[in-house]
Amino acid sequence: MLVETRSTQLLKGTLDMCLLATIAQWPCYGYEMVQQLAQQGLDLVSEGSIYPLLSRLQHLGYIDGYLVASRDGPKRKYYHLLPAGAKQLEQWQAEWEVFARAVERILKGARSDEQS
Amino acid sequence: MSRADQHTRQQIADLVEACAGYWELRGVALESSAQMQLELEQHLQQAVSDGKSLEAVLGPNPAAFAEAWAREMRPRVFRGGAKVLRGLVYALSVVSSSALLSQLLARSPAFTFTLFGAYLLIGSGLLALLLQLGGFLAPRINKRAGREALVLAGVVLAVLVLRLAGLQVNWSTPLLSWGWPVTIVLLALAAFLFSLTCWRSSHREPLLTVSESWSALRTVTTFVASVGVFDIVMFFSSVAVVDFCRLALRLV
Repeated sequence: MLVETRSTQLLKGTLDMCLLATIAQWPCYGYEMVQQLAQQGLDLVSEGSIYPLLSRLQHLGYIDGYLVASRDGPKRKYYHLLPAGAKQLEQWQAEWEVFARAVERILKGARSDEQS
Repeated sequence: MSRADQHTRQQIADLVEACAGYWELRGVALESSAQMQLELEQHLQQAVSDGKSLEAVLGPNPAAFAEAWAREMRPRVFRGGAKVLRGLVYALSVVSSSALLSQLLARSPAFTFTLFGAYLLIGSGLLALLLQLGGFLAPRINKRAGREALVLAGVVLAVLVLRLAGLQVNWSTPLLSWGWPVTIVLLALAAFLFSLTCWRSSHREPLLTVSESWSALRTVTTFVASVGVFDIVMFFSSVAVVDFCRLALRLV
């Protein structure tokens, strides 16, 4: 049975931002995104969970997709960032930095309390 | 990339087919559904060739995955009705052609549509749908035969439960009865609706090559042949059921 770890829960809340940031680097297809996330140490419990999010980002006008023929099998759908997506990513990054700093401060405070 | 073996490819194909059937029922646009199927198939193939399980891609519940994706695709109820409409066109074709054949062969002025006929049509439609959605079981039951056996066992179990709950049905109960003019109208309506669905699909995907035209012709031939086979099955099984009911009544 699959058990949700804390990191899985954290990733769930930030997966759309991570996907947008991955696509911002260069256009890529779904499996490629999963591989890039895994290389950064973010393993998804179910890889397919990126697709509903990609569709949502596409409907919001942040990304767009196009099909490219593949030698290895069916066509691949590549996603690329749109200007609205770049703007949204900047905003999310700013929000994340504020949030991460706040969490870090709290954790540091807890650690210093333990030491004293 | 190493090639997934035949067995796993069948599992992937069945999973994608189950998702496609579900998305169609949920009312996802066909163009979007086609792209979703491509993405899913491509991802599953690559994941399997990298040694991952199907569950690693779709999670423990593939139906929940299909639903989560469908929700993001702005589904419309009326689009889901297209699949039901195709089923209704098929049922109408079976009923009208069955009426025509039985009136011609028996030289009878009227045709009676029994409860058994309705049960056979509705039951076959539901069974076909269940078998398609049975592809969701692919990560847990590897073989297609095993999945189909499980679906059939579920249906048989449901029938047995209903029977044990005291449900008694007289299969030869007449539901509707009509004469020649209605049969002709129903046949014309079935032909018109079938032509309409063919026109809609060719309008969506224009027939550009000879092979595509052959494929369309094959679709029409398959449809007509399957209606014919269904008519024969319905005729023989209804004769058997009516005889059985008569015998049972005599014994009672």
